[in-house]
Amino acid sequence: MEKKVKLQIDGKEVIAPEGMNLLDAGHLVDVFIPNLCYLKGMRGFGACRLCLVEVEGLKSPVIACNTKVREGMVVHTQTEKVRNIRRFILDLILSIHPLDCMTCTKAGICKLQEYAYEYELKNTSFIKKKMGYPIDQINPFIRRDPEYCILCGRCVRVCKEQGTNVLDFIGRGINAEIGTAYNKSLRESGCTFCGSCVDACPVNALPEADRWRKGREWEYTKIPSVCLFCGNGCDILISVKDGGIQKINTGEKPGSTKKYICAYGRFGYDYIEDRTRITTPLKRENDTLKETTWKEALSIIAAKLKEAGNETGFISTAGITNEDALALKRFAKNVVKTKNFDTTLSLYSDIHSMKDSQSALITNSDLIILIGLNPSQWSRVLPALDASIRKRVNRGGKLLVITSADIKIEEAATLTLKGDEITILKAIVKSLIDKGLKADIQLENAVKDAVVTEDIEKAAKLVEEAQNPVIFTSPSLFDSSANLTIIKGKVIAVGFESNSRGVALIGLTTEGKSYSDMVNKGMKVLYVIGEVPLNARPSHTDFLIVQTSHFTELAEQADIVLPSTTQYETEGTIIDYLGRLKKLNRAIDPIGTSKTHRDIFVAISKIMKSPLKKPSENEINKLIKVKPKLSFNPFIRRDGFEIAPREFIESINASVLRGRRLAWLKEAVAAIAV
Amino acid sequence: MEETLKKILKTYHENSGNIITILQDIEKNFGHIPEEAVNWFAKKLDIPASRFYGVATFYSQFHLKPRGKNIITVCRGTACHVKGSERLINRLCLELDIPEGEETTSDLKFTVEKVNCIGACGIAPVTLINNTVHGRMTIDKLIKEIKKIKSE
Repeated sequence: MEKKVKLQIDGKEVIAPEGMNLLDAGHLVDVFIPNLCYLKGMRGFGACRLCLVEVEGLKSPVIACNTKVREGMVVHTQTEKVRNIRRFILDLILSIHPLDCMTCTKAGICKLQEYAYEYELKNTSFIKKKMGYPIDQINPFIRRDPEYCILCGRCVRVCKEQGTNVLDFIGRGINAEIGTAYNKSLRESGCTFCGSCVDACPVNALPEADRWRKGREWEYTKIPSVCLFCGNGCDILISVKDGGIQKINTGEKPGSTKKYICAYGRFGYDYIEDRTRITTPLKRENDTLKETTWKEALSIIAAKLKEAGNETGFISTAGITNEDALALKRFAKNVVKTKNFDTTLSLYSDIHSMKDSQSALITNSDLIILIGLNPSQWSRVLPALDASIRKRVNRGGKLLVITSADIKIEEAATLTLKGDEITILKAIVKSLIDKGLKADIQLENAVKDAVVTEDIEKAAKLVEEAQNPVIFTSPSLFDSSANLTIIKGKVIAVGFESNSRGVALIGLTTEGKSYSDMVNKGMKVLYVIGEVPLNARPSHTDFLIVQTSHFTELAEQADIVLPSTTQYETEGTIIDYLGRLKKLNRAIDPIGTSKTHRDIFVAISKIMKSPLKKPSENEINKLIKVKPKLSFNPFIRRDGFEIAPREFIESINASVLRGRRLAWLKEAVAAIAV
Repeated sequence: MEETLKKILKTYHENSGNIITILQDIEKNFGHIPEEAVNWFAKKLDIPASRFYGVATFYSQFHLKPRGKNIITVCRGTACHVKGSERLINRLCLELDIPEGEETTSDLKFTVEKVNCIGACGIAPVTLINNTVHGRMTIDKLIKEIKKIKSE
């Protein structure tokens, strides 16, 4: 148990853990000390000086963000003295800040506006200064307008902490500004356009580029949901107005940088209204796809499925909700009576490593071990994992990278071990056993011959000293990595799709023919759900049904195309890579006549006279409640999962990446790489 | 260029230096901080280029643009200001044909810089011409000095 101290803030008694700062301690009893630069979770920075408070016994006021609680402290946050200082500081800030709140996009959530209101400042009493900085708006994501900047440094610190390092303080004194190296535009600066700075900025210096005139903040309905574009399954907060999505933020309060989302998750949503969106069912007539009714399309499908029976195959992405996955499994098994169903999960992982992965939090671990994985914010392969690890390292965590390739995250590592992952793992285990840590006899025998070098010794020392090590591994190395947890720590195999773990637990996994079998050899009737990395109609396929939200190359070759909803138009649950159950909420109505996957299966099952019930919450909860069982397994690398992660993620999100803004991003990145 | 940069990198490793010492070495070798040099070090040391740029713009000892062969520093301290240092600068820029907002002539012969105070207020207005102090400067004296340098 951490030590607690007792103090008094504005007459209220506070019991706060030792080491906490006064600002956070105030929050515990609902005393909110004004500030512009503090970011919860990060160390106090002391740039804005607004959080000055008086402490009895001290001569002058101190900044609450960087003063730690002490036993018996008596703090006053609203004395005449500190209020006057705050008013003076705000007065100074207003002298370099435009006073156009009536048209400002940030009105309503602007912290400066809030404080100016509280401290009754209508204008500055100083001479107003206009700096005349140019606006950076040549990218479609983030508009950078230094004229509004109050130099709080929040954007600089989030950018630094997550390892993108694009922004920094430039210049000095009155000429100081926030900028990029050599004052380049964001486009040329190596920016990944994750928009973390957008969430961090307390004023209007870094809004979304298209935010202007898209509604005031208080008109939005805020709907928490989950992004399904990749294996991280990040929390998002969708702002909806007039039935349309206006913007997406991280699923966290403004001013907190706990969570991260990438450019896909934040800005990719405009693909929902792309011209490739399918809004009605289509059927093939004389070599072209023609619009048809749901009734006709479903009855054709019902007849074909009945006829083909167990010669039907279902292939799906693993980026579907638990509910859709269960509905699909039951539809295939009980209605169509086939065991041939599988997901893209089988391309990069076995079932055991997904099912037996444990739950852990990156923020709680003091050592992260990365094995055979290459998360990267720049190539957008598991970008949130990359950002979270870098953040953890910057807050004092350690990172051990074990890899056979050259990867970018090494730059953040405490120690990198290069070479065959399995050899290294064995050696680390051996070294740990030599140090006297407990293991089982099988494990001891398996690593008998391992060679312990100096570097291995260092790595083992890191593991030995750690309290809560968490291992992130590629699924092919899961067994070998999991052996380490017999001694210490938790292990998680990271899949590349948002619900990789969910579909494994639901059981939408290979029973009959596998995904590759069905794709390579074809099926009499092939039913494709969602976007899969498949562009050509498999040969020997008599009838191809594609159920997806957007036109893909495969959909153009289908016999029947059914429009399904996107991630913003459906509800359900997923299990993210850390093992947390997350809930999607429906933010907008489905576009056109598109339906959710499970509604489509239920509708077809009715026509086939074997009606399916929609999976209930209870059923899902029961299925996903599995305790991972980990025991010794031989040190092996599982074969057959060698996909290129970046290409895979891009192909399952092909329609998202065709959206207006992300298409720009792809071009911009390609242009700079040359 | 790369050779020089490698040399600087070596001394950095040997003396466990910091960003400022690297930038000082670059400045010493090239007369200013070239963008390529910063990018080269950023890559080699995994220190973001934005950090280098931030430090380089913070200290007035670093210059981002190439500087002229002859450096004329005009003091802009209070005493010199009262004694008309602004007029000196205006005339200098006119005489040397330095466009507004720039400091250096296009042929890289002259750079005109301002400094906040040299600390020789007794002989204001003060001008440094290639590190030689000239007190009680007048426009005529200044033009004469420039002509002298030009004819050398």
